[in-house]
Amino acid sequence: MDVRDATDMESNNYVMETCLLAGEIMIKNGAETYRVEETMNRMAYAAGMKSVHSFVTPTSIIFSFKDHGEVDRTRMVRLGERTINLNKVTMVNEVSRHFVADKISLTEAHDKLVEISSQKFQYPDWLLNVAAGLGSGSFAVLIGGTFLDFIPSAIAGAIVFASSNYLYRLLPITFFAEFAASFLGGMFTLIASWVFPAHLQLGVMIIGAMIPLFPGVALTNSVRDLMAGDLMAGVARGVEAGLSALAVAVAAAIVLSL
Amino acid sequence: MLKGMLLSYIITFVYAMLFNAPKHTIFYAGAVGMSGWIIYKMLPAYGAELTLASFAAGTFISLTSQILSIKMKVPSTNFSIAGIIPLVPGSTAYKSMLAFINTDYVGGITLGVMTMMYAGAIAAGLILGVSIFSLWKGIVARHVRKGAKAN
Repeated sequence: MDVRDATDMESNNYVMETCLLAGEIMIKNGAETYRVEETMNRMAYAAGMKSVHSFVTPTSIIFSFKDHGEVDRTRMVRLGERTINLNKVTMVNEVSRHFVADKISLTEAHDKLVEISSQKFQYPDWLLNVAAGLGSGSFAVLIGGTFLDFIPSAIAGAIVFASSNYLYRLLPITFFAEFAASFLGGMFTLIASWVFPAHLQLGVMIIGAMIPLFPGVALTNSVRDLMAGDLMAGVARGVEAGLSALAVAVAAAIVLSL
Repeated sequence: MLKGMLLSYIITFVYAMLFNAPKHTIFYAGAVGMSGWIIYKMLPAYGAELTLASFAAGTFISLTSQILSIKMKVPSTNFSIAGIIPLVPGSTAYKSMLAFINTDYVGGITLGVMTMMYAGAIAAGLILGVSIFSLWKGIVARHVRKGAKAN
């Protein structure tokens, strides 16, 4: 659909759809709240809407503006599962920048957003698992492990990362997935330290193995949201980070007490 | 030290990958994480508390991420989220957990509070970086109409 031949009402709806799509992609992939709100507002203003307001939390978006015919339009969307995909955030950011600078039309922006939303990860799954393992192993060595600790903790990190993704698909409750995944990873390190008690340090291996579940994004964004004055979103994300940390801590405690 | 630098670079690099940051940013993200870690390690050698070191490293990471974000026109979270991973107070958290399991509740709480202090210091550093930067951006925007817009 091209905006120029559309009727006025359709074009108003189209602006709403495009802004909401942009906001939805951003918040679902780990953008900060103020960035999402600002992007949506700027796009709507650039499309000629007036008194634009947006309210974004990690689980919902409320967006309203006054359209060309001075009619108030408000939509609310509920958001489901969230992942972290900073590439999508960056791309939406770029689309909105180009749209606001009048480099692309609304139709083009919408098409690009649809394309972005259906995009997959840039890297294959196995590579991500290997990367998670490499990160875990390196962290274990960084905090004082030896290179012997590297291998089991890398394997455990890959187990934690892969199984948390798999378990989430099985039962979409984040707490459960993270708990079970870190329990599995912890068990692996525990068994490794039973088999080679002389060479391996259980502590650094467990810490390394749990690092893939460290809620870095939730923590960083929570802080930035709170600073930007988005108290609701900031607190919500802070709680999210706390829950992840709790899941990991409980699992580690169970493993250690075995 | 060199080993630590290499490891912290690897860690930040792979986490930027796991968060699916754009391909042209992950090498820079690694450098941000590495330099943050260097500050985190260097300051205690000059007698600074670990809390202060975390704070300084967090500030540094936040500032460099914002500068890079303007240079490369990508959101600054691409660099800062992965950048703080090497600073995570994992071992203090672990010791705290271990103390609770051994029914040393006082020790556990002490270490738990320490963990929160370190994590809070990183967060406060991030905040300071963002604040410094928005201040700077405000000054720039007042003088030049087209200020930094990308972050």
